[in-house]
Amino acid sequence: MASYRENLDEPAQLIQPLCSCWEDARDLLREWREENLRNSEQVVEVGDFLMQGGLAGKLGDEVWPAYEQIFLAALECGRLELAQVCYKQLRRQFPGSLRVAKLEAMRYEFLQKYDVAEQKYQKILEGDEANSAVHKRLIAIHKAQGKIPEAIKELNKYLERFMSDHEAWLELANLYIAEMEYGKAAFCLEELIMANPQCHLYHQRYAEVRYTQGGTENMELARKYFAQAAKLNPTSIRALFGLFLAASHLAAQQKGGGTKSSKSENKKYAAWAAKQIQERYEALGQREESQVKALTATLDSLELS
Amino acid sequence: MAVQRQSRTIKSVFRLFVIVGLLVFAHAAYSAAQHRLYLRITEREFTGLPADIVVQIILAFLVICCGLVNIAGDFREIKASKELENKSWETFGNQPSFYTFTHRGRVLFSTVPELDDEADQED
Repeated sequence: MASYRENLDEPAQLIQPLCSCWEDARDLLREWREENLRNSEQVVEVGDFLMQGGLAGKLGDEVWPAYEQIFLAALECGRLELAQVCYKQLRRQFPGSLRVAKLEAMRYEFLQKYDVAEQKYQKILEGDEANSAVHKRLIAIHKAQGKIPEAIKELNKYLERFMSDHEAWLELANLYIAEMEYGKAAFCLEELIMANPQCHLYHQRYAEVRYTQGGTENMELARKYFAQAAKLNPTSIRALFGLFLAASHLAAQQKGGGTKSSKSENKKYAAWAAKQIQERYEALGQREESQVKALTATLDSLELS
Repeated sequence: MAVQRQSRTIKSVFRLFVIVGLLVFAHAAYSAAQHRLYLRITEREFTGLPADIVVQIILAFLVICCGLVNIAGDFREIKASKELENKSWETFGNQPSFYTFTHRGRVLFSTVPELDDEADQED
């Protein structure tokens, strides 16, 4: 089994290997699993390391989730032979498992044999109708074929039954954004904010959608939600930039109809956000001085527009 | 290293707190039992524990509390959003259930040129 690195032009020794012993590999894989990171390239590299050294057996019971993880990453990286190795191990260990059957169908998805994959998924659903992972795969098939409207329809049906599925709500929001239906995407994100009011990322995302929609009302909403995101996580530069942009936009927009007080208020918010951003950059250290200058220039130019 | 060693000695001090507290507690319990026995022998009505036993119980309770709180580990932030602060959209917005495989990954990292033919036979 060749490492994918040999495909690259760079000499292999220039790149530091990710892991040198199986303990490292295990810890890395576990960390990535728990963090929910999509770094398939690295997972495949670690997987290669484990398979080539015949070290997979050392992981004990943890080898099974690791196999599943490597399988998925291998499919993402087009490494079918590595995926095959993982799949065979899993099938040998869990012959009747629906979760492994799902992996088999995913392999067909990778081969773009969507009909076969769909048949396999339907077969799993006959046995276990409430298998939400399989329902989601059926939606992903639509997505993979570029049929976004169908995917949206199916996902809406799915969410009627599995209302507390955060991942699905987020996916629906993403699909609506892809279709430029920002109002509906915003509704999905509102749903997520309600389920998880402490999460600054949902607030920020919602504000971004509203900002994209434009118009005074949406811009005001965007400003409020960016402010909430910045309040929940004061270190979030993205939220601060959003607050700055939304506020300065409002300050510039209200030249005609808006009241004077709200205009000056928005100016105040923008100035506050700009100051916060500047302070964060300055806190990075003296060496970043040129960056701070560039940042000041950027903020000034954004405010003028 | 020095900090680590220091924290370890502090921890052992608090562990001692807990042990001493438990011993005092046990002593108080024993004293209380003895007191009841004494009352029964002298055939007097039980009205309450003597003050010294009560003081002993309260003291032991406080010492155990103090020790346990300090050896149980670090406290978590009371703000519910604190744990989410280090999360980024990279991990939070990742949805493994909806992965699709028709993206640049198969072109960039694949080592097998003719995937589709080979996979067909292998089934």
